[in-house]
Amino acid sequence: MQKKYKILIIDDSEEILNTYKKFFIKKNYSVATASNGLDGLKILQTEPNDFDLIITDIVMPNISGVGIISIVKKKFPEILIIAITGWGEHPGMLASEAEADLVLEKPIDLMELDKRIIDLIQSKTI
Amino acid sequence: MQSGPPIIGVSPAIVRVTDLINHVADTGLNIVISGETGVGKEVIAQNLYQKSPRKGKPFVKVNCAALPEGLLESELYGYERGAFTGAEQKKRGKFELANGGVLFLDEIGDMPILLQSKLLHVLQSGEFAPLGSEKEFKTDTWLIAATNHDLEDEIKKHKFREDLYYRLNIIKIYIPPLRERTEDIPHLINYYSQLYTSQFNNRNILQPSSRVLQKLSEYYWPGNVRELQNVLKRVLVLGSWDDIIDGFDYGYGSSNAVRQKTEQVQPPIPSSNNFLFQNGQAPDLESFSLKDIKKNALDKVEKEAISYILEKTGWNRSRASKILKISYKTLLYKISELGILPPTT
Ligand SMILES: Nc1ncnc2c1ncn2[C@@H]1O[C@H](COP(=O)(O)OP(=O)(O)OP(=O)(O)O)[C@@H](O)[C@H]1O
Ligand SMILES: [Mg+2]
Repeated sequence: MQKKYKILIIDDSEEILNTYKKFFIKKNYSVATASNGLDGLKILQTEPNDFDLIITDIVMPNISGVGIISIVKKKFPEILIIAITGWGEHPGMLASEAEADLVLEKPIDLMELDKRIIDLIQSKTI
Repeated sequence: MQSGPPIIGVSPAIVRVTDLINHVADTGLNIVISGETGVGKEVIAQNLYQKSPRKGKPFVKVNCAALPEGLLESELYGYERGAFTGAEQKKRGKFELANGGVLFLDEIGDMPILLQSKLLHVLQSGEFAPLGSEKEFKTDTWLIAATNHDLEDEIKKHKFREDLYYRLNIIKIYIPPLRERTEDIPHLINYYSQLYTSQFNNRNILQPSSRVLQKLSEYYWPGNVRELQNVLKRVLVLGSWDDIIDGFDYGYGSSNAVRQKTEQVQPPIPSSNNFLFQNGQAPDLESFSLKDIKKNALDKVEKEAISYILEKTGWNRSRASKILKISYKTLLYKISELGILPPTT
């Protein structure tokens, strides 16, 4: 059986958080969620070594997804990040610049997202 | 340890902002601080700087609304000798002066669109060129911007570049107006009473009664904390809260009241006995001082004159400064110092 991966999902839409959470729990992930960048960052700081991967929205209150990517890449370089953009090219480009491991555009196919996560984690451990 | 001017307040919004500052002050990521006039945007910027590793390096402020386009450009980037007629000496720009530290761009929403493009280029490349220079220079400045405009609105009106907006808003700090966090009012009064008491010859500010506090929390506070400071100073001069809170315009914010107010603009007629007898009440002989009365009277006349011209010009501050024959900078200073408030829309 595959190891249980731990992910953090940050998005300011309650609905998206719930949908993602349900889906990933069913897929046997351990899931934490935050509805803005600051709360996400606080979760990371209390359990810094726990997370394998972060999925983050980009346009959010207080710390944006781009901010999260920059901070995480500096402070917790081991954690992988997928940025999800729905706002045209500017934020997406900024996310790549900040060195997100993957930038995906909405709408997101969750089955596909699951595959990309496994790919990312496995390519990192090789 | 000095860590910036104090951020007073117990409201969830202020607690949250303080928490956010503590989490991002060491990141050096671009920040936009937004909120109405007088809510404390500059205080927040100072706190970010003082809590960052850049503390002790320069903190350079540029007010993007205070200078016309050409001057703002040379202020920011500097110029080489001979870059244009009149450029007899090379001038270093604020980007250069802020190197290693913080560049605080105040009123970023007022930056002309061409300069926005130039700023975007600097942020993308990390390099800037002084006017008339062939060479680009590397810059390591932490950019903190402030605005009391709704930038998203400005984008819709094509007054603000969307790509610049996203590049600046890596971190957003929004400070709500004082009327939405009235639980902060008693704490601010406490803090500033003590401060002013020591500044104004130890004259004590009367603690507001619960009736007064109630009134204070019903008021609209269009000038936010700065206006509260001015109110406190007036209480200090007058020795009483009552006249001041009775003079509040509680209809502020309802557009009707504002419209009425602007329709009734009358030229100011100073009448000298007003300054002595506030609302018909004789002055307190204990605290009587000619100096205070003079300052008070002068402030009042200036305030009336400036308000009158501002309303006549529809708050076109550069036109108003020309009519008043004072510099634009002086006008901005007086507006804030005298607590002159723009009509809300
Ligand atoms: N939370 C606070 N605690 C203590 N003092 C405050 C607080 N907020 C604002 N002030 C004080 O109120 C005054 C106005 O604040 P500041 O200049 O930072 O406002 P601002 O948002 O930059 O206003 P403007 O948009 O007009 O430039 C300052 O003297 C500042 O020290
Ligand atoms: Mg300011």
